[in-house]
Amino acid sequence: MTHGSAPQADTPHELLATVRDLTRQVRVAQRGTWFPLLVFATVALVAIPVYRYGPYLDLFHTCRSGDDQMVCSGENPTELGYWTVALVLAYAAIAAFYVKRSRRRGVGTPIRPYVIVGIALAVLMAAVSIWLTFHPLLPVPADPFATDVVEIKAGLAAQLIYGLASPMAVIGLALLVLAWVERHWALLAYSVVYLVIVAIMGAQVIHSASRWFFLPHLLVPAALLLLGAAVFALVRPTPEGQA
Amino acid sequence: MADHPANGLDDVVHQRVRLGIMTIAHQARQVEFGFLRTALQLTAGNLGQHLTVLEKAELITIEKGYEGKRPRTWVTLTAAGRAALRDEIAHLKQLIQQVEYAETAEPREGSVDRT
Repeated sequence: MTHGSAPQADTPHELLATVRDLTRQVRVAQRGTWFPLLVFATVALVAIPVYRYGPYLDLFHTCRSGDDQMVCSGENPTELGYWTVALVLAYAAIAAFYVKRSRRRGVGTPIRPYVIVGIALAVLMAAVSIWLTFHPLLPVPADPFATDVVEIKAGLAAQLIYGLASPMAVIGLALLVLAWVERHWALLAYSVVYLVIVAIMGAQVIHSASRWFFLPHLLVPAALLLLGAAVFALVRPTPEGQA
Repeated sequence: MADHPANGLDDVVHQRVRLGIMTIAHQARQVEFGFLRTALQLTAGNLGQHLTVLEKAELITIEKGYEGKRPRTWVTLTAAGRAALRDEIAHLKQLIQQVEYAETAEPREGSVDRT
């Protein structure tokens, strides 16, 4: 042990403590948790005008015309297209943010698994949504023009599959990967809470004639994401302070 | 008799600063000279010497380039470096276990003597 100029009196305990401290310091420097949350909150808020004013493009021929009305089953392809494109662009922006930040700070970032899983989930979401349009797992009313409120009961498997088709759930699932990549327990806890709230929201059927009926499904997750972005941005420790 | 864990320690890696460099490079995949200098609180000259030792041992690779007009030096851990770091940490843990085992065994032997 004669290579270094530093003293060699470090015990194994001290050396391992140094390894742990430096690992923690690097992880803190690598984290940029607030940015993905802010991006997805923005994507959710931008979805509001798309849901309200986006035309129903009957790409999959699921619409049936009645006397003076038209009923369409399955997700609006406009909304599906919006989410698929928006999620892929969001992950590209997140990857660019992390890469630029790592160059500025001088410390690399293992963000690739998060971006790959996120994009894969976005594509899977689109595929599952299209599949569900042709193979609905929930009972379809015999008379699509009936105005009576029908109670829909879905099994756990159906709920899981519909969850994979939900953009909000897909965002939450990818956040679990980010929590693993960043070794971030607070983000893991946040992601689990977020997913539970999104799952509960997804199980609620809103009976309303309003054209804004979808608002809670977008506003609640957007508010959660904004809140998370603000908290993670405000309470992040400085890397130097962790040494 | 099993080989003592201290015999498995690599002189190049078993040094606080170099172990620190390798830990940071492992966690970061790629780390810049300035980040290492700040994190390890070293002078540029001192850090450069340690990096040279690690590079000669083929435990890291050093890549020089520019970020705009600023010169940048990036350090990456090699596969051999990752293995050496893993071995060093395993040996350190074994050493601690042996010391702790010896400390807990001594009083027990004493109590046997008294009876």
